[in-house]
Amino acid sequence: MTAASVQGVAPRGLRGAVGLWTILRRLLRRPEGLIGMVILLVFIVLAIAPQAFVGQLQTAVTATGHRLEPPSGVHLLGTDELGRDMLNQTVHGARISLVIGFLATVVTVAIGVVVGIVAGFVGGWLDAILMRITDFFLVIPTFVLALILTPIIQQLVGSAATEVFGIRMTLIVIVIVIGITSWSSTARIIRSQTLSLRERAFVDRARVIGAGGGHIMRRHILPNVINLIVANAVLTFAGAVLTETTLSFVGLGDPFQPSWGQLLEAARAAGAPGLGAWWYFVPPGAGIVLVVLAFTLVGSALDDLLNPKRGRRR
Amino acid sequence: MKVGYLGRRLASAFVTIVLIALVNFILFRAMPGSPERVLLHGTPRVTAEILQQTRERWGLDKPLFPDQFVAYVDATIHGDLGFSFIGGGHTVAEVLAQRIWPTVILFGLGELVAIVLGLALGAYTGWRRGGPVDYVGNGISLVLYSTPYFLLGMAFLLVFATTLHWFPTFGMMTSGAQYPGLWERLVDFLAHLALPLATVAFGLVGQYAIVMRSSIVETLSEDYVTTGRAMGLREGRILRHHALPNALLPTVSLIAINLGYVVAGAITVEVVFNWPGLGTLAVTALTARDYPVLQGVFLLLSVSVVLANLVADLVYGALDPRVRT
Repeated sequence: MTAASVQGVAPRGLRGAVGLWTILRRLLRRPEGLIGMVILLVFIVLAIAPQAFVGQLQTAVTATGHRLEPPSGVHLLGTDELGRDMLNQTVHGARISLVIGFLATVVTVAIGVVVGIVAGFVGGWLDAILMRITDFFLVIPTFVLALILTPIIQQLVGSAATEVFGIRMTLIVIVIVIGITSWSSTARIIRSQTLSLRERAFVDRARVIGAGGGHIMRRHILPNVINLIVANAVLTFAGAVLTETTLSFVGLGDPFQPSWGQLLEAARAAGAPGLGAWWYFVPPGAGIVLVVLAFTLVGSALDDLLNPKRGRRR
Repeated sequence: MKVGYLGRRLASAFVTIVLIALVNFILFRAMPGSPERVLLHGTPRVTAEILQQTRERWGLDKPLFPDQFVAYVDATIHGDLGFSFIGGGHTVAEVLAQRIWPTVILFGLGELVAIVLGLALGAYTGWRRGGPVDYVGNGISLVLYSTPYFLLGMAFLLVFATTLHWFPTFGMMTSGAQYPGLWERLVDFLAHLALPLATVAFGLVGQYAIVMRSSIVETLSEDYVTTGRAMGLREGRILRHHALPNALLPTVSLIAINLGYVVAGAITVEVVFNWPGLGTLAVTALTARDYPVLQGVFLLLSVSVVLANLVADLVYGALDPRVRT
């Protein structure tokens, strides 16, 4: 009963209770937001049902073309070194890249939000320790750490063929590694916002009524940083797609579930740039550039709209 | 006051380096196989004596913490990083030493070109904010920022090496070539350097331009700029003498913080062009699961980035009295 009354007092969404639709409308009114959302919509549709557009993912056995055919009426984007249709590979790659990017974003933001809120709210030595660790991850080249962590965790987890949510274990490990190595900037942003929220009257009121720390963090701090989390998650998505691409490119991806990065790695290994086979790496490359660009545009537009601090970083 | 700032920066860098050593130690013990086997994997002719020596040297008979950690840190400080699994008896330190210079040259020059170009582009687009130059310039920056370095490298390779034959396709020197003199040697090296260097520079330009643009835009709304305008100063003079110096400072520290991310790009560019630096070394080691070398690369790059950040912080503190609180 006390909890419910406190909840009524706490202002939800401090910058005027702005609904989801209002934010979406404001976002679409900005040119960069509109362009970004359109690109994302196209790729999300492709990623949801790639079979509907290009049929099942072609393998070396079910390949429909010859080796490295340039684009033609039959193969709109040409074929790879095993005769697989590049349009087929690229559209299926969209699904893998976006799903891995999404899961990695969820893990990254979850870790960042928990660390940020706990450090900012609890304060003291816990804050000091958590922020030291955060700074450590901010400064060091986390990608190189990911290079070492991925094979070690893959070896510890064991069989690569096990599937979770239809995703092979190799890729799940990549999701976990991206999460472990990229949460630090989220934690910093959430912590600084938590620090200012902690001093607000509604937090004091909740405490006076007898609410515990955990309750206040979940029911009062978290709802008030949701806006920040959304804007940050969209920007994190762009980074996660890039990191996954790069990890796959250096050989940590899964050839049986080729993401765009995995396709680029295959193109490099097959010597596509040296053979003049531009159609092998331009389609997956364009996919990556467009998706990262779209997330960056939408993310920075959202950041402008939702971030209580007007001064932009980056 | 100033000593406090300096001391805090030094302490922070020191703690980070200790954490790097700790992470490296944990990774080393998390590896599959007993630590003796990991340590002696690449060593030729392991005898019982060598095995015993290793156990004592790394404190493997003693408890994990603190004895083994202290021994590990001690070995690291003395440059003893173990043997490469695939290096045929070479130590990790030897393998790393061979690969440092190509990376330093490629990335040192690439960073330099990118900083000059990126800051100039960012300052100009920021100055002309809202105009056509800004839209085009900022658009180019955003696309470059969204492009993975290695993709840019593959495109350059296809256009300038495969199709136009302007530059060689891989390596640092033409293999097996005989040079009549130093000059021909240098020309061959520069021809090999051109494409990877352009890739690194263009890969970085976007992000630096974006940072510089927002910094300039912020600075141009400051009161002293308005005062300058009211005094009748020309726009160009305001930009060069008042806005630029103040906008540069935060940009420099952001560039230093971003160094850690730049390293990821470094690795992939080297792979595309077969540049014999730390990046190709890391990927070869990764493929062979040569963990000691991977850890060596991690240690070397992390400590370099931390030290670079420390230097940037100190320079920043010397230039801008406001941060020395």
